This record gives sequence, structure tokens and C-alpha cells, in this order.
Amino acid sequence: MTMYDPTVDQRVDKALANDFLRLATRRATDRLRNNRVKAAEELGDWQKWREAGETIRTHVVANLDFYLKQLITQIEKQGGHVHLAKTPAEAVTFVKNIVREHKAKNVIKSKSMISEEIHLNHALEDEGSTVIETDLGEYIIQIAGEPPSHIIVPAMHKTRQQVADLFEPIAGHPLTSDTPTLTRFVRNKMRESFLQGEIGITGCNFAVADTGSIVMVTNEGNGRMVSTLPRVQITLMGMERLVPSFRELDVMLNLLARSATGQKFSSYTTILTPPKQASDPDGPEEFHLVILDHNRSEILGDKTFRPALNCIRCGACFNVCPVYRQIGGHAYGSVYAGPIGAVITPLLENDWYKWGHLPFFSSLCGACSEACPVRLPLHDLLVKLRARKVVGGHTPKIEHQIFKTYRFFFTHEKTLRKALRLGSKLQWPLVRNGRISVGIPPLSNWTNSRTLPKVSPKSFMQMWSELNRN
Amino acid sequence: MKVSLFATCLANALYPDIDLTMARILTYLGHTVDVPEGQACCGQIAFNSGYFDDAREVARTLIDSFEHSEIVVGPSGSCIAMIHHYYPTLFENEPAYLKKANDLIHKSYEFTQFVVDVLKTPDLGASYSAKATYHPSCHATRLLSIGDAPLTLMKHIKGLELVPLTEAQLCCGFGGTFSVKMPKLSTAMVAEKAQHVLDSGADLLVGVDMGCLMNISGYLEKINKPVKTMHIIQLLGEGMKS
Amino acid sequence: MTNTNEFISLLASKLGRPTPTQAPEPVAINVPQYRSSTRKDRASLFLDNWHALGGKGMIVKSPEETMQCLKEWFGDQQATWPNKQQAIVAWDMLPTVAEFAFAALEWPLVRYSQEAQSSPDRYSLAAQAELGVTGADWGIALSGTLVVNSSPQRGRAVSLLPPLHLAFIEASKLRDNLFDVLEELTSLGMPPSAIEMISGPSRTSDIEMDLSIGVHGPIEVYVIVIDD
Ligand code: SF4
Repeated sequence: MTMYDPTVDQRVDKALANDFLRLATRRATDRLRNNRVKAAEELGDWQKWREAGETIRTHVVANLDFYLKQLITQIEKQGGHVHLAKTPAEAVTFVKNIVREHKAKNVIKSKSMISEEIHLNHALEDEGSTVIETDLGEYIIQIAGEPPSHIIVPAMHKTRQQVADLFEPIAGHPLTSDTPTLTRFVRNKMRESFLQGEIGITGCNFAVADTGSIVMVTNEGNGRMVSTLPRVQITLMGMERLVPSFRELDVMLNLLARSATGQKFSSYTTILTPPKQASDPDGPEEFHLVILDHNRSEILGDKTFRPALNCIRCGACFNVCPVYRQIGGHAYGSVYAGPIGAVITPLLENDWYKWGHLPFFSSLCGACSEACPVRLPLHDLLVKLRARKVVGGHTPKIEHQIFKTYRFFFTHEKTLRKALRLGSKLQWPLVRNGRISVGIPPLSNWTNSRTLPKVSPKSFMQMWSELNRN
Repeated sequence: MKVSLFATCLANALYPDIDLTMARILTYLGHTVDVPEGQACCGQIAFNSGYFDDAREVARTLIDSFEHSEIVVGPSGSCIAMIHHYYPTLFENEPAYLKKANDLIHKSYEFTQFVVDVLKTPDLGASYSAKATYHPSCHATRLLSIGDAPLTLMKHIKGLELVPLTEAQLCCGFGGTFSVKMPKLSTAMVAEKAQHVLDSGADLLVGVDMGCLMNISGYLEKINKPVKTMHIIQLLGEGMKS
Repeated sequence: MTNTNEFISLLASKLGRPTPTQAPEPVAINVPQYRSSTRKDRASLFLDNWHALGGKGMIVKSPEETMQCLKEWFGDQQATWPNKQQAIVAWDMLPTVAEFAFAALEWPLVRYSQEAQSSPDRYSLAAQAELGVTGADWGIALSGTLVVNSSPQRGRAVSLLPPLHLAFIEASKLRDNLFDVLEELTSLGMPPSAIEMISGPSRTSDIEMDLSIGVHGPIEVYVIVIDD
């Protein structure tokens, strides 16, 4: 009956059986959520800031062609190179060519979700380059060979012992699993890599159209290293991640930092306008900006889903999602998990078989929409995606039948009364101790873990008309 | 006032006493109550599953049945939220019904919202002795913004002790068809909610949406730790008997 | 490979109109901004926030007070630094008070942009130093943030590679909020190649959400606010 990839259920089962994962996810998301709420209150008038955030993002997306063109012109004027990639494969090729041209052996990276989206690391390693993720969380999952489980805290699912076990072979000696030991190991290990890095690859939180600048938000300082030390900088950005000018950055950076981690600002917010000026003592001499479409233009053309491009990848929706809370990120199967991942993955990837389950990873409780700093109506988009799936013929025939039947009875109230009366008489095989507690599919999906009250011998509508008759 | 009741499909079929009690309370408050025939469901089941066309026809039936009502009151935040939040989407391409939908939106209320915010009669003179905790259902609070109306009513019930529910804002995992479409996720969610209910020490769980309550109490019963569960209307009804 | 025009006109077609030739009207932004009532309030809020981030900070009125402060913060460690000649790396020019204090203490400063010829040499210089000393262009009171522009006489690695970072900032450069700083940045015209906004030490919570300080950037950060 399912018309989606059966591995989905396996992933869910696996996640639900992983007690550490569930506890860690719950703890981490609670903490991030509480921090966000506190930081929002501290700023005051949070709803006004959210409205401003939504207004700015909507404006940018509605004028995306203008601002992108302005950005490209500005960057080229400053001596940077812009590469426009329609597909992930094209983006990978651009990066590969740059690496190849420089015969670079050591590539260092700071966090970039686009790099995850285009699966860049393997491609570069196949070229014979060493690629090192320098964000601690990204480094952990790189060694583990796993995708991120949260967009802000990529290794949320790992225990400290697992981290120590991953680091030990690299350290070549035993490591205790306390945080200071593990962080110190990474600091020392990464130092060499930073100083040897020939090419630095960074992500981009915002690009500023009128100055041709890249804004990067990090806490560890690795983003600064990667954009300061190597001779060549490559920045990967999703097509929509723009602001018109510095003026709008105040709102966006306040919203982003406070929503992501509950900080006023992250430790480092870096506004780069590369390449370096000739007489600057440091900074990259060569700068490449790779701008990725990957069906974002399709989303842009689709009025219903266009708001999905407003997202600033803060992760706030993850931290309040009751589904994410139970299973963490990997069960989604997608690079972007959580509510926003459930919205954009089917749109970006355009594959209902593989990603059709995602809009259903939600009880439509609306907590995500309430948390989102740019007021994305995530739960509305999720339900509209479900409708897309139905209209596109990607749901089972039997389901169509069920809802046709539902529609018939619930548009014919008198017939419904009769059906309910009949139902109340026929339900006895399922009743135990006055409750329905066994069932056949799909009812058993309920009764396996819950009981259900019996259908009343008389429906209210029936009772009411009888009362009125007397 | 002349108040038309929206029975809602779940109460109609499984919990008719809720609708009856709602009628009784509103009559007690001096209003004339009627129950327009033809009404059946808000259409949410189909809508939330993505079957907008089927949902639209069910919604149309509902709109038609209340066309001549002055005020419509229902015992479910979720069903009223469906009307308020999604009917404009359902009928965006049908100006005639969009207008009718908007009429319905302007005259429809969830029960506690109606009693507290419109009628301004938070004290119904009820008394009931129990240690109660309140689950704020998602649609009632987030989509319909009923706020503290249910708590206000509960605070006026003599003898009722209110205890807090940890992580009250978390969804219970019902989500309509979500509970049968994603049974494992739904069960994991309700398990956590049920634990919070048990931890609260309450001997009574109260809410404004029977779907959620049916989910939580059904789970508690399955794990043999039943907690008495009441819709706020049932609670008020019991409390007003004395 | 897609060229720019093709890429942009696809977006225009998706938006259902030709690409505007003029910049769109900027959106109105109506958010309440924090305003301090006095300069003194602003400085103390800045320092409160800086302390809350785990930084050390002090307001000084004279070169003597500056020396006092430096001795207190770094005196003991300085005595143990193995290579005292190369231990402190700094911008070419620091605020006068700072220059005076270091000279009077006889703590030698290595000038980052002058000392070495090539970038890699400069990096290893900074990486081996114990303390990096910089000025700052603005401070943001509301968040305890230093805003530092790059320039040929400065160097970005000075506030990044050494384990300790010390910044001097004149009280007159403190602003209430980021908005004000961005306004002034905009009025400067073309921005420098890097504007670093620094709010406390390097930190991470990537391992079991356990906060850990100093993973890549400076482990300790210090600020001296010069009461000018
Ligand atoms: S959808 Fe909203 S809450 Fe979720 S990541 Fe994007 S901006 Fe943050």
C-alpha cells in the first residue's frame, strides 16, 4: 500500500530503537529552544523583528533576479569569479576544476550545507585531494562517514565516547572522552591543516548584493581561518541567500543568531568582500563564488511554495518539532532534515518515491511555523505538499477510495446517521472491556498502541432529532 | 442569542454526551440552541491527507448547513481552526463560496473561546474536586489562538486543583490521519506526552479537543495506567450538576 | 555552462516579469532599537556583555592604568613565555595609550605586516605568538561585540591565530547596536576585504552540547576600553 521507499520505515525503526539518539536529540533541542526563547525575549518585540525578517526575505526573493545580477556584477568588478550552477553536478565540476587548476592537495572547509547538498567531499577526494571539514561537528561526521543530523549541530547524535573512538586512530594514542581533551586534540590537529590549506571552501549565510560581500556566521573561528589563510577561497551559496545591502543585515543577523543558538551574535560574524586588496597582509588572493540553483528556480516559479526560499537555515524549526524530537535527523534520509527539510527536499529533489514520505513526517502541530524567525508557514506548506502528491498521482488508489467514501458519507448526513448506527452494532468483535482495543489494518495502526472508544449506539445528530421530536 | 451547534464528527459518533452537554450549558446561559441538519465534518481528515477536492465538498456541506445561523459554536479547537485557517485556501478559486466561508469564519467559535471571550461568563458556578492538568491542543492554541480561555474556565471551577503539565506545548502525536499513517512516530510522541501526564501527578486530564484526549487516554489505557480524561465540556457539565 | 544572462532571465521568467533595471525600493524596516541614555551606560553595557561572553574587560583613563591592567592580566604569564621577542604580535599602529604602555613595560611588539615577507611566514609568526594585539573600529554595546576592519597595516590573523587576543577600543567608538555600525559602514563606501565582528572567545557545543572554549580561534579574549 505504501508508495514510498520502504527504507523509510527501517530508518524510523532504527531511530526509535536508539535511546541515546533520542535522549540526546531531546536534550539538545530543548536547550536550543530555551536559549532561543530567552534571546528573543531579551531583544524585545520579537514579533516585530520576525515581521521585518519575513518582509526582507520576501522582498529579496521577489526581486531575486535583480539582486543576483547586482551581486554577480559587483563581485566580478572586484576581481572575483562567479560560477552559476544549474545542478549539483555542475557545482561539483566547478569546484573540481578550480582545485585541479591549482593542483591543490589540501582543501579545508568550513561549514556549508550546499556542500552537503551537492555531495562535494567525495568528489574532491576522488580527485586525490585531502578535504578536511574544520567545523568540529562536521569533522566528526566526516570521519564517521555520515550526513549531518541537525543543520546547526551536525553531530548531535554522537556520544562523547563515540567521538573519542573516532578520533583515536587519527591521534594514534588513546584519548579520554572529556570535552576539553577532545577539543584540544582537534585544535592541535586542525592547526596544521589550516596553515597548509591551499584552498578554503566556505558556506555563505548571506551575500550582500550591492557590495558583493559574503557574510559568514561561525562560533569556532574555523570560518575565519578558512577565509583568511588559504590563497584561494571558494564560497558555495544557495541562489536565494541574499540581502540587498548592509542595512538589512541588522535584522537578519539578529534573527539568525538568536534563533539558531540563542546567542546575541555568534562569536564570529564575518563580512568578507574578497579577494584581498593587493597590499593586505592576509586573505585570499583569488575568490570564486559558486551559486547553486538545483530547482530553486522551479520553487521561485511556484507561487504556493515560493516562501520556502525565505528560509535562513537557523534550525529553530528542528528544535520545536515533535517528530524530529523523537527520531533525530537521519531518519528523514535527506540532507536537510526537520520541518524545513521535509518541505524543501521534495521540491529540490523532485522524486516522490524517494522523498514522498517527508511531508508526512509532521503531525501539522504548527510548532515550526510559530518558531520560524522569518515566519515561514511550514505546516501549511507541508499540507500543500501532501496535496501535490495526491494530485500528482503518487498516492495509492485505495487511499483515493477511502477519501471518496469519506466524502460521500460526510456530505450525506442522513446516510451517515444510518451508517453509524450500523457501525455501532457491528463493532462488537473488536470490543474488549467496553473499548475497541483490537483492530485490523489500518485500524490496527491505532489499536496496537491505543484503545478507542466504541461508536455510540446513537449519534448526537440522531439523539438531537429524537429529543426535538418528543 | 441564537446559537447553532457544530457537533463535529468525532463527538457526534463517539462522544455525543459532549454535544448534549454543550447544548445544556448554552441553554443554561440563556441562549437558544439549534443543531442544523446536514452538518457532518469540517473536512480536516481529507484536507490534512492532501485530498483537497474531497475536503472541499465536505467543507461546502458544512458551510451550507450553517448558512442561516447567527453564531456557530463547536467543541473542538481543531475543527474551528480548520474553518478559520484553511477554508480560505480551499475556496480560493471560488469567490461565491469564499464569501460564504468568510461569513462562517466570522460567526464561528470554539466553545471555551465563546464562553470566555464573547459571552464573558467565565464562572459557570461549577464545582468538581480533582487534581487536574490541562493539555493545550496545538490547533486550538497555535492556529486558533484561544489562549487561556480553557484555563480561565477551569480556574473558576470550585474544588479543582490545577497542576502544570511539563512541555505542555508538545504535540500529543494525534494529528488526525497522522496517527494511523505514521503509527510509530505517533506512538513515540504520545508515549512522551502520556509520561508527562503521569509525572504531573494529576488524577484528571482535561483538554478542548477530543482527538488529542482520545489519543492520550487510549495510550494510557493500553499501558495499563489509565488517567481519568475529560473534555472541558464534560468537566463543566459534571461540575454544574451539583 | 550557464551564462549570467541566461541564468538571470530564467529567474525573471519564473517571476513572470522582466528583470527590473532600477534597484527596487528598499523595504521599510520597523524594529525597535536599543538606545542607551548616556555614554557611560553604553560602556558599562558593552563590558557587561563582553564579560558574559567570557571575555575580560576594563575601562582605563591613563597610560598608567593601562600598564597596570596589562601587568595584572599578562604579567605572570609573560614572565614564562619562552620567546619573549616574538610572543606578542600586533598591528602596525595601536592606539597611543597602548603603544605607550607596551613601550613602558618593555614588552616587545612584533608588527605582523612588516616582520615577514610572505603570507605563510606571517601566519606562522602569528600562530607561534602568545598574544595578538589589535585595535577596533566599533564596539556594539547590546551584544558585547568588537567590529574590526581589515587594512594593509593590520592583518586579520592577529585576532585569530594567537591563543590570546587583546583589543583596544576608544569609548567614543562604542555604539548601541549593530544597526548603527552598519549605517556607518555603509557611509564609508566600499567595504574593506574583511569586517570581523568578534563576540567573545572561540566556542563550540558540538560534543553533547557541552560548551567548550577555544576550539580554533582565541581561547581568551581581552578588551581595554580607553576613556577618551
Ligand atoms: S524554516 Fe524558519 S525556522 Fe526552519 S530553518 Fe528555516 S528559517 Fe529557521
